[in-house]
Amino acid sequence: MKREVAIVGIGYAGFRPLTPDLSYKELVFEAATRAYAEAGINPRTDVDSFISVAEDLHEGTSITDEYVPDQLGAVQKPVQTVAGDGIHGLAMAYMQICTGQFDIVVVESHAKASNILHLGHVTAMAMDPVYTRPLGVHPLALAGMEMRRYLDESGLTHEHCAQVVVKNRAHALSNPLASYPAVLEVEDVLNAPPVAEPLTQLEVSQHVDGAIVVVMAAGDVARALTDMPIWVLGIGFANDAFALDSRSWAQAEYARLAGQMAYRMAGIRNPRATIDVAEIDDTFAYKELQHMEALGLCAPGEAGYLVAEGYTSLEGELPVNPSGGSLGVGHLLDASGLARVLEIVWQLRGDAGQRQIPDVEVGLAFGWRGLPTTSGAAIILAN
Amino acid sequence: MEKVNIVTQAQPWVDRFPLTGRYTYGVAGERFFRELKENGRFFGTRCTACDVVYVPPRLYCLRCFAPLEEWVEVPSTGTVHTFTVVHQDLDEAPLPTPEVIAFVQIDGCDGGLVHRLGEVAPEDVYIGMSVEAVLKPTAERQGGLTDIAYFRPTLR
Repeated sequence: MKREVAIVGIGYAGFRPLTPDLSYKELVFEAATRAYAEAGINPRTDVDSFISVAEDLHEGTSITDEYVPDQLGAVQKPVQTVAGDGIHGLAMAYMQICTGQFDIVVVESHAKASNILHLGHVTAMAMDPVYTRPLGVHPLALAGMEMRRYLDESGLTHEHCAQVVVKNRAHALSNPLASYPAVLEVEDVLNAPPVAEPLTQLEVSQHVDGAIVVVMAAGDVARALTDMPIWVLGIGFANDAFALDSRSWAQAEYARLAGQMAYRMAGIRNPRATIDVAEIDDTFAYKELQHMEALGLCAPGEAGYLVAEGYTSLEGELPVNPSGGSLGVGHLLDASGLARVLEIVWQLRGDAGQRQIPDVEVGLAFGWRGLPTTSGAAIILAN
Repeated sequence: MEKVNIVTQAQPWVDRFPLTGRYTYGVAGERFFRELKENGRFFGTRCTACDVVYVPPRLYCLRCFAPLEEWVEVPSTGTVHTFTVVHQDLDEAPLPTPEVIAFVQIDGCDGGLVHRLGEVAPEDVYIGMSVEAVLKPTAERQGGLTDIAYFRPTLR
């Protein structure tokens, strides 16, 4: 029989544009201390396995995974690193618990983006060294090209994308963790300096430093640890082609397939009717629209209209990124998906403060690994 | 936990990691770039089962996983599938002249190349525009992507 799995603790540290005072290890230690206190566990005696989601070039070291145990209470324990978005790490933890070999598994991801002096160079190193990198072009060019093709095929407009920025940065006003709250008009976004047309500066999420640690536990263990386990109903992940000549420039196929896997597992046939709140990758404004459509929350070409009419605002039928998303909170590199999960957990527990959505029972979080990848992961959570 | 709360006492250690890598072209890439360098021609590989021509060529079909053995010469003309106007360089400094970057779908192929557009004003570029490759002179070609100087609107 399949084991039930729940989130029994989640902790964070940072979420600030600059953290010159703390090393990334100290950020992780702080987030882990919060998560373990919330779950009421001692990592040295109670945790069976640890998973880190990290990328060597973001850290400026190789074998980043080898650095993980010390600050996480994981020395002399099973530890592994997953490359991808933070939600890929949750998927691995879920599967480890399902083996029956592990009852409590911890997932960690963090961002020390402020220590990366030129993120463009790091992302450029991810592009095909033979067929793309020799152009010496800033990787945001890929986002600009994808956005243009998406708008062309969907029939949506630049204004629709700008609405996403206005909404998410407004949502961030009621999130104390958000670094980029703002009251903006659509014109502000459209008139911002272009970076890779049609993409403007305000449509690109800015970075923050931070760490997030999640404690997951098997059914009965979870019930014994907390009165408010947040259950994993479904989880899924997928990739499109890596080659730029063979992937879709308009559709987020990875999101569609990851969503399908998670919905199938959760037994959800009509995501729009079932999901009460969603936190969806918005690394770039158009990505939120593209991901909403791919995740089946609306018809193709409909996402922009839903945002414009307030359907996805805090007070709307299906709030999307009530936290403010990456545009409002700040982008946490590999930990961005876990920031989406953090908000869904708080919403499901009724702990979301000023931005609490009433009667939340099922939430969706979706993470994308970022340029130039086609890695996506989705998780469906319930209280 | 006592924290560092005097900004001048929050110090980083600064180091560089300058590394040089070799990136093997492989069988397919070797042939693609040799034809481009020596003969100024584009080649792709075809999967007959999927009826797909891959440019750049590869030895395997990513749709059906078949090994690919059929080489086909393809034109150096294509269509702008999508494009962007880039305003910053890799250091995030503003470019003196913004660059047009496009994904050019090569005529008669399923694939194509990301490359620069030249001899055209950014405001005149559109999805569906016909373009052709402008190659560097033979003597300057090194057998790599930049042997193509840029794509430009097809002359009529």
